[in-house]
Amino acid sequence: MDAQKVISSGIIELYVTGMATEQEVRELEAAMLQSPEVLAAVEEYRRSLEYYVAAQVLPPDHAIKDSLLNQINNLEASGSAQTFMSSTLPGHPKATLMEETLIPEKRLSWKVVAAAAFILLIGSIIMNFFYYKKWKDFREYKDKYQALLLSQNSIMSTNDKYKARLEELEQTLNVMEDPAVLKVNMPGTKLKPDAVATVFWNTQNKQVYLKVNNLPEPAAGKQYQLWAIVDGKPVDMGVFEMGDTAKLLQKMKVTDKVQMFAVTLENKGGAAQPTLEQMYVAGKIPG
Amino acid sequence: MNGLRNRNQKIFSYLYDQYSSTLYGVVVKVLNDHASAGDVLQDVFLKIWKNIDQYDEERGRLFTWMLNICRNTAIDVLRSKAHKLDQKIQNITDDVHIGNEPLIVHMQVDHLGFSKMLERLSKDQRNLIDLAYYKGCTQEEIARVLDIPLGTVKTRMRTALNHLKQIVKNIDK
Repeated sequence: MDAQKVISSGIIELYVTGMATEQEVRELEAAMLQSPEVLAAVEEYRRSLEYYVAAQVLPPDHAIKDSLLNQINNLEASGSAQTFMSSTLPGHPKATLMEETLIPEKRLSWKVVAAAAFILLIGSIIMNFFYYKKWKDFREYKDKYQALLLSQNSIMSTNDKYKARLEELEQTLNVMEDPAVLKVNMPGTKLKPDAVATVFWNTQNKQVYLKVNNLPEPAAGKQYQLWAIVDGKPVDMGVFEMGDTAKLLQKMKVTDKVQMFAVTLENKGGAAQPTLEQMYVAGKIPG
Repeated sequence: MNGLRNRNQKIFSYLYDQYSSTLYGVVVKVLNDHASAGDVLQDVFLKIWKNIDQYDEERGRLFTWMLNICRNTAIDVLRSKAHKLDQKIQNITDDVHIGNEPLIVHMQVDHLGFSKMLERLSKDQRNLIDLAYYKGCTQEEIARVLDIPLGTVKTRMRTALNHLKQIVKNIDK
């Protein structure tokens, strides 16, 4: 194609502004290679247009340059790895311009990954310390809790014991304070002068209670027995226990009438008639 | 050039200082959007950095090569933003409309450093060049947008570019 004809055809103007069709581009680029004249003409239009472009400069934000240099640094750092990767993939098609530029944005650089990993590690260590301390505290509190539970159990059982004892004492007190109850002191006989026992006799419901103040522990197989002397005859009021039980008021049998109470030591289980030689204490109803 | 081929960062930094304003001007002109223009500019420079091996000194000047990458990238973004032709046209007509507002032209003077010499081109001529060069419109699209016959687009473009060439020639003298 004749150079002048190409130049005057107007194709160059379309070419430099990007408006030429694909076919026109091919034709013109072929002509540019063949004719320096055409090439010079294209270059002249191009420069004019670049002048036009350069007349409309606009300085970008400063931060963009720093960001770019950072990205390039990261690319540099991962560059060797990338080269290795692509060389190990035979026949891997060359990425297009667009695809290539997308890669750095999508792929995290190792520096970022390393920094993130480091931050996670530090975070993990701090959390470990925190939770270890918590765990230690928890273990301590668990021990304390168990100790407290134990001591609470023992306190509760002691409490129950005291409560039972208090109830017994209250009962005793109720019996003794009742105005209908008659108190009968039974001092020791010649057999045991320092022995003392007391009988509480409710004159209304006729119930007899016994309180051992001082009686020697009986031998094995022996048991004390309380007697009521009614109209000169001994009536069985029951046997009673010694030891801890004796510290409290013990409920005995019932008698309508009585002039005197006495305690004898009998074989275990009691006797039908009192063994008078073994009478420890005795006392008359006052009045 | 060798420094750039060896990926010398100092030279890249120099290149950025030299051309970033011009290329940023192009991106802003294409996108009409300062918010995304910064990202696109970064994209452009990363492409330059990664594809510098493909630059052939015998086939043209470095600036021309960079400008092509910049323009293509920005126009790609513009197209992906407005998938449909109608949207794209809408975008263009808006731009043309804005270009006709005296206030906006005044702003362009301030922001883009629109030099006096370019004011010697008529507004219509500038619009025509801008639609083709910055918006990547085909002749048909320009004819549609400006509502003129296809042949007229070609003639007017020739006149505009020759006018521009003449202006530049006078300045160079």
